[in-house]
Formats: sequence, C-alpha cells, structure tokens
Amino acid sequence: MKWISRAILFLMLLGGAALLAFGPRPNAHVPPGRLVLSYWEKWTGPDADAMRQIVDDFNNTVGAEKGLYVRMISLANVQHKTLAATAAGVPPDIAGLWTAQLVQYALRGALTPLDDMARERGIDPAKYKPVYWDICSYEGKLSALPTTPAVVALHYNKRFFYEAADKLYAAGLDPTRPPQTLQEFDRYAKLLDVPIPGTNRLARAGYFTMDTGWYIMYSQVWFGGGAWDTKTQKYTLLRPENIAAYEWVASYSKRMGSEAFMDFKSGLGGFASPTNPFLSGAVAMVQQGPWMGNYAASYNPDMSQVIVPFALEPFLPRVVRPFNYEWAVAAFPSAVMGDAGKDVSYNETDILVIPRGAKHPRESFEFLAYVQRPEVMEKLGKLTGKHSVLKKNSDNWLYTHRNPYVDVFDRLAASPNAAAIDQTPIYSEGLNEIDLASQQIYLLQKTPVEALTEAQQRLDARLARYHEQRALRGAK
Amino acid sequence: MPVDEVIPYARPLTPSARLGESAAKAQATFRAAARRKKWMNLLVIHVALVCICAGFILPLAWMISTSLKTNKEAMLFPPKMVPIPPNWKSYPNVINHERVDFPLFARNTVIVAGLAVVGTTFVSAFVAYGFAKVKFRGRGLLFAMMLSTMMIPFPVIMVSQFLLFRWLDVHTPIQFLGTFKPLWLPWWFGTAFNIFLLRQFFMSIPDELSEAARIDGCSDFGIFWRIILPLARPALACVALFTFMHHWNDFLGPLIYLQDPQQYTLALGLQQLQGTQGATTEWNILMAGSVLVVLPVIVLFFLTQRTFIQGIATTGLK
Amino acid sequence: MSKQTGGSAARAGTTEWGDIGKGLFFLSPWMFGFLLFTMTPIIMTVYFSLSEYSVLEPPVYVGLQNYRDLLSDKWFGNAMLNTAQYAAMALPGGLLVSLGLALLLNQPIRGQAAYRTIIFLPSLVPVTASSMIWLWLFNTKLGLLNFGLAKIGLPAVGWLTNPSVALPALAFMSLWGVGYTVVIYLAGLQDVPKELYEAAEIDGATGLRRLWNVTIPMISPVIFFNLIMAIIGVFRVFEMPYIMTNGGPARATQFIAMYVYDNSFLYVRMGYASAMALIQLLIVLALTGIAFWSSSRWVHYQGK
Repeated sequence: MKWISRAILFLMLLGGAALLAFGPRPNAHVPPGRLVLSYWEKWTGPDADAMRQIVDDFNNTVGAEKGLYVRMISLANVQHKTLAATAAGVPPDIAGLWTAQLVQYALRGALTPLDDMARERGIDPAKYKPVYWDICSYEGKLSALPTTPAVVALHYNKRFFYEAADKLYAAGLDPTRPPQTLQEFDRYAKLLDVPIPGTNRLARAGYFTMDTGWYIMYSQVWFGGGAWDTKTQKYTLLRPENIAAYEWVASYSKRMGSEAFMDFKSGLGGFASPTNPFLSGAVAMVQQGPWMGNYAASYNPDMSQVIVPFALEPFLPRVVRPFNYEWAVAAFPSAVMGDAGKDVSYNETDILVIPRGAKHPRESFEFLAYVQRPEVMEKLGKLTGKHSVLKKNSDNWLYTHRNPYVDVFDRLAASPNAAAIDQTPIYSEGLNEIDLASQQIYLLQKTPVEALTEAQQRLDARLARYHEQRALRGAK
Repeated sequence: MPVDEVIPYARPLTPSARLGESAAKAQATFRAAARRKKWMNLLVIHVALVCICAGFILPLAWMISTSLKTNKEAMLFPPKMVPIPPNWKSYPNVINHERVDFPLFARNTVIVAGLAVVGTTFVSAFVAYGFAKVKFRGRGLLFAMMLSTMMIPFPVIMVSQFLLFRWLDVHTPIQFLGTFKPLWLPWWFGTAFNIFLLRQFFMSIPDELSEAARIDGCSDFGIFWRIILPLARPALACVALFTFMHHWNDFLGPLIYLQDPQQYTLALGLQQLQGTQGATTEWNILMAGSVLVVLPVIVLFFLTQRTFIQGIATTGLK
Repeated sequence: MSKQTGGSAARAGTTEWGDIGKGLFFLSPWMFGFLLFTMTPIIMTVYFSLSEYSVLEPPVYVGLQNYRDLLSDKWFGNAMLNTAQYAAMALPGGLLVSLGLALLLNQPIRGQAAYRTIIFLPSLVPVTASSMIWLWLFNTKLGLLNFGLAKIGLPAVGWLTNPSVALPALAFMSLWGVGYTVVIYLAGLQDVPKELYEAAEIDGATGLRRLWNVTIPMISPVIFFNLIMAIIGVFRVFEMPYIMTNGGPARATQFIAMYVYDNSFLYVRMGYASAMALIQLLIVLALTGIAFWSSSRWVHYQGK
C-alpha cells in the first residue's frame, strides 16, 4: 500500500515537472521578429470571434508589413482588470472596453489621448454617427475609437400580435404594426398577456420589465428625461420625466403583484440560451439590441425562416425579407409627443483604447486605425450582426447583412433623438445607485420618488466630494 | 504562555484501535439488555451518518454527473441523475478550451505553488528552530506577535500590500506587479502558520539530542540542519502540503496581482469558464473544469491523509 | 531547562538575555518579512487612509475625510451588516453542526474512517470550485435543490436571486465546508480522559447530561478557539459572493472584503479603501485580543 501511494505521489510530482518543462508557455505562436502588442478584449463568445478575425487580418496584412503582431486575449471581466493593471503599471497595449468606463479612466489620466494620432491618420469625425463619436471623447480629448455599436430598440413577436388580433382590433389597435407611443405600448402589452387560467399568474407577459433588465436604468430616455445634465454637470434623477419613467416601471410590477412578479422572473431562462424568454415565447415584447438577431438565429431558428431557409434568403426580394421572420424590430415607443418622441434610442459603443503607460502607443494605434477603415468596419458589422458607427455604409452591406433589421438600428442610431450614455465623473457609482434604485422600484420596495430621492442625495454628496478633492488636487 | 494553550494538542487519530478497545469494554461491563439498547443506538447513529454523508457527497457527485453530460442534457429539467451514456468530451473540451488555456494556467499554478513551497518550507523551519530551541528574552513577545499576524485575514491588508509592491516597482529596479513575485516572495520569509506548526513539532523533539551534538562541537545551524530537519520530515511534508494547497486554491491573491490573462492560475481560470453577458454558461464544461481543479487536491489528500489530518489537528487552524 | 541553555548562555556572556543574538539570527527572515510585508503595509494604510489616492495620480492629503465619508456611506454599513448577518447565521450553525458531527464521528463504530473522510472531503474543495458547484445546485431553473423542492411539491426558490434568501443560502452553503472544524473537534474529543466518562457513568450520568457536564467543559478551549477563528474568518469571505452573486441581488450579499475590493480595484479609490481596511484591522485585532485575554478566564484547561 505504501509503495503505491509513494508511486502515485512521485507520478504527480513528475507530472508537475513535465508541465513546467514541456507545458505551454505564454506568447506561443508569435512569428519571430514581430513586435507583440497585447490586446485585452472584454467580449467573449461570438463577438470576440469576430474581433479575432479582424486581428488575424491585421496580422496578415498591415501587421506583417510593419512588423507588428497583435495578440488578442478575450476574457470575462478583463475590462475590470484594465484599470487595476494600468494602476499597477503593467497595462496591455490595447484594451477593448465599453464607453461606460471611458470617463472613469480618462479622468484619472489612465488613457493615452488619441487626437494627434487620429488627425495624422486622417480619421475624420464627420464620417461617424455623432452619437458614437461624441462618447469617445471626454473634456474635449479623444480617448478612444469606436468599434461595434449598441442601440436599444423594441423587439416584438409578430406571431403573438396576430394571435391576439381579435382582442387588439376590439381595442382599436392594429396587430400588424408595433405600438407607436408608450400609451399605446401599455395597451398592447396588457392585451398580449396570456394568464394561466384561474390564477393571477402569467404564462406569457406582453412586456416584462425584468427581461433582461439591463436597460431598466435608462427608462427615463423613453420619457424624454435624463439622469445627468451635461450643462450643469449634475445628477437630475428627480426630473418629473424620470419619476414618470420609474412610475411606469413600477406599474408593470404592480399589475402582476410583487410575488407573481418574482415568480415569473425566476421562471425565465438564461439570456443567451434557447430558454431566452423572448425566444421561448414567454415574453412578447422586449428592449434589446442588434445581438438579438444572432441569438434568434442560433437558439430558435424556427422564429426565422418563415418562408425560406437562411441559405435562400438572399434570393428574396428586399421588401419580402422581413416576412421571413416572426420577430421584428422598431423604435421603442416614447411617451413624448411630436418630433422629440420619434425614433428615440439609447446608445453605447464598444471602444478601443490605449492605456497610459503602455509601451508602444504609436504601434498600437496602427491597429486602432486599421479597425476604423470602412471596409474593416463593414466586415466587423457583418461578423457581429451589428450596425455601424460610420454614417455611410454601402447599400450592398445593408441588404446582405445577416440582421434583417439592421437598417432600423442604423436609422435609430442616426436619429436626432439618439441618446447616449451619460458622461459623468462618477459614472460607476452613479450607475450603481440608479441600478439599485430601479431594483427597489421594480421590486416595489420603495416608491420611485423615495428611491430616486435617496439615490440623488447620495450622488450629490459623492459628486460634491469628488469636486472638492479635484480642487485640492488642482491647488497643488 | 496562554497563547499557546488556546491551541488544542492532538494525538494521532487511530479509529480501529479505539474500536476494538471500547467494544471489548462494552462486552465486559454491560448486561444483555444494555447490549440490545446499544445495538439500537448504533443503528440510529449509522442511519444518521449515512444520511449526512449522502448530503455531503451529493454536490460532488452532482459535479461529476454534470461533467459527464452533454450541454443539452445539463439543461434538462427534471435533471437526469446519471448520464448514460457518459459524455467524456467535456474533458478534452475544457483542456482545449478556446479562451481558457487550462494547461497554461496549470503550469502557472505549479510555478507559483512550487516556488512558495520550496521557500517557505525551509525558511519556516529555520525560524521555527529559533522559536523552539533558542532561549532568549523577548521570544514570547515575538511569538505572540507572530501568532496575531496569523489572525489577520488577507483581504484586510491586500490594498496596502498592493500599494507596497507598487511602491517597490517605482523605487527599485525589480518589477513586482504583473509578475508572480508578489504571490510567492512573501513566503520566502517564512509564514506565521507554517512557523507555528513546525515550532509545535520541534518542541516535541527532546533537547538531549541537540545537547549531545552541541557537546560534539556542532553549531546551532548544524544541529538544525543535521538533527532537527531530518527528524522533522513529517512536519515538513505537512507544511509543504498546506502551502501547496493554499496556492492551488488561492483566488484573491492572483486576482489582484496577476493582470495579464496569460499569467492566470487555475482558480482564476476556472471562473473564466462562467459565461459572461451574452454568452451561455456551459455547465458541463464548467463542471468538468471543476473536477480537474478538485481532483489533484483530493488525490493528494488520500495519499497523505495522516500527515494532513495531524497537521490540522496540531495547529487547530485554517 | 537551565541545563540545556547553560552552555550557550555562558558563551553569550549574560544569562538575563539568553542567546539573543542567535535567536534573532534564526528569527531574522521572519522579522524582515514581518516588517516588510505586514508592518510596512499597515503603516502605509494609515498614511493612505488620510488621502485621496488612485495610484494613477499622486496622493492628496484630505485629513479624516475618508473616515467621515465612511460614517455616512450606506454601502459600507450595508456590507458590514451583511457580514455580521452572515456571521450570525453561519457561525452558530457551523459550530453546532460541526460539534454534532464530531460527536457522531467520535462514536466507536464500524466504518468510522470512511464517514470521517466523506465529511472532510468537501472542505478540501477549492472555494472557486465549490462556488461553481453550488451556483449550479442553487440554479433557479435547473438546479438540484429546486428539483428536490419540486419533488416534494414545494415551489421553486430563487436561492441567489431573491434578496432575502441569498444571504441565508450562502450561510447554508458554508456548512458544506465544516470538515476542518470537525477534525479539530475530533482532536479535542480524543483528549478527554476516559476516566472522566467512567466516573460520570458511576454517578449515573448518561447521554445528554454526560455531554453537558463532561464533554462540553472538557473541549471548551477547542470550541472557543473555533469560534474566534470563525469570526475572524468571516472577514475573509470573498470568493463565494464574488463568483456566485457579485454582491447582488440588490447588494444583499455584498461582504466587507468585496466592498474593499471594489473600491480599491474597480473604482481605484485606494485611499478610501485603506480607511475601510484599517477599521477592519482594528476589529480583528480587538477580536484577537479578546481571544487571548478571555481564553484564560472561562476556558477550562486540563492537565497543564
């Protein structure tokens, strides 16, 4: 017995030693003689795969010419690591972040300003959709370049609309089109509910605030409100529009009752899976972005291909293409009347940055500039199924894009009512507070006024403290 | 020294010997009626223990069962308890995972753990000798100080340790952050837990041995090296084992000190198998990864059971 | 005693100080490490806790502002409260369960070794892995626990998604890892002299009375030790909430270690985080002090 365990122990040691001697090493597969640029990407999954193709293209063309090699690593939460790595003095050469993080990084001087390099390379702001270009700068300094954008729109299930056609017609609503105003939206939502007979619980919800709930913090956008005022540089959570927005959020929880609400919520499946509530038919209308098309295609292919399979779709006349899909996309309806309520959208974008202290900013910029080329942008859009940050794209691109509604996203992002993420100096704290307030509101723990008042007070104090400390720093 | 006495001293656990001894006693002292009652008691105890053990083993069994399912089977509800036929593919899939380079992370973990084990085992023994075998004023105070550092949880000093390494980066030519050094270097100065464990062991070595050597003209280091260390082999093995386990399991240290994803250790890598926003968690792959991380630890435990349990019992810590 | 050090003390020249030189020689690595990796960071913590510091820019002295902010920081209070609530659930539960298990496992029965091994195994599992396993067990839709509930006709519980259930769920999960504590209790139980039980038997004390009058007092040092270590261990809880809930839902499982981590490595507010760390350090030191002080008062020591 003893010798057996000795032998196993010895084998384990040997295994460890073998791992050390022959195991994989970092930076394997880099062609010799190239300058390695490390690129940390926050996306994992399909979006990362798309970016990896662009990186490979770069390495084979521009990179090979100029002796550069971009080594892309995509890991979950790597966007959180970038700031700590920069603080630790060991940042990556290039980092793929979200605009949400830009201000926090820029304020602390953690990003290399890109204005001069962008000018040299002829990167023209006029070519970009303003909503995306503007959020790449902070305090007049260009700190990032955009890659793949995100815009939130109404996704709705046309089949459920037809199924409820009688009820909708009876209420004077048109089942062949999406709701145009928020008031209308609420009526649609109510009529699209499918209750479980004899209970107050739902088999299907017309609309459910908490699927996925990512954008609940931005509900004010649909009411013409805003959490942050750029002019006065203050949080404005208590604007009447915002309160109305959260009353609206709460109204959906109240309608179901908080218990049935929690029940329904916990019965919903994972987002990127066949059990996705929208794809599995548990919810008729959701707030989502262009990625939903990818999930629909891979997790519930039956929701598409109504007329012909994907492979034959290019042969369909353009006007017929939407009929190949059970689901459709439209602007999320707004509570605001008139022009200001038309094509309202909420926008963010993925960005590439060069952290301060990275050793090869000029070389890294070669890659950033490469991604900005229109043809590369189009390829990225095609691979990710997303629309584009650029104003103009080729017609061919628009019509062969794998998301049948890419034109809608493009229009929403270019709309004058396209709202973007707030650029506040205490963004993460702000987001956390608003997130918490919205949780308290939809769980009916607090009324919107209570929750928002508390959040506003804390944010005011935090902001005041922030400015105070800034002033101290300035005085030095 | 009250400090000392908080710690329970342990004897080796020898269940089988005790079983025979008390059974014999029972037979000798109790009448038949008492024996029947005892039998009932035994039955109750067994039933209770079997139920409890089932509860304890269930999560592990479930981990293994899920790791042998296909992703589709893992998503079934009601779940399939035993996957037949087993899907072994999760294992090669997790080793050749596109994002999470398990072999590389394993190598990183072995490097960090190996360096820490080598350093701390020797240095802690060295220091423990000072605490156990050299008499001097202030030793008690220093020992108490050492014990109290053992009680400081790492999260409490992590920020300042990070800042210390940052300071050292700027003011010395050596780069610490973004390398493995912050994870193993502090262990090369001895660690309170290991010093304590070894000191307890050294105390049990009779002084006559070292006195004899001293008379033969042996220096203190000579005594330490030639007499104490060879005698202390089981304790040293125990220290090495605990240190290895600590680094194998450590999550927070690597999380704050390792920035480049190519440097991640297994504990960090495992977390990476969790799906992020927009990506599904493949539970079968995740559980296969968990099995791979857990397995070496459990094998190691079975091989070194006695050393292990005695170590915990002696220090009463962890 | 005096005999063993006699020779060397004579060489050192003074009996009063003993072999101070030699002692310090042997202790020097630890003392250096202690000064560098424990004391220096603590002093730095004091300094940085008085400043606003992001590492990316030089620190600015702000006096006691960080501490004042902490007082009004709802989330710091929330994290402290969560930590305390978790402790209040996990500690008594853990101590009782592990003591009960130890008593069961101390019975002279067949298969004792196997039972002991099974109870101990889970405590070997790395926290990262056990968090993953339990994340899966707790899964609202597909998890084994809700399957069990469904079997006996109970509705599904949002173990980690319901704010009022998440923290107790984590405390429940911590029971899985009581193996270490059980081993320490077992070691303590072996040290209870057999004669005492025999004496108690002669006095007619059986079952519970014997447990209460003999066993518990005899292993009280071990109980106390485990208690203190468990309290201090609560400040170490990080991986579990970080991996499983990320502090949610609605910050119901944000522990103090996580809040410090977030402030220092996500918001890079190192100064503020230092102030929090210092407060924790004071609490831990106080607890350690109580441990040493009271151990000599109410804990029974046998023999020595």
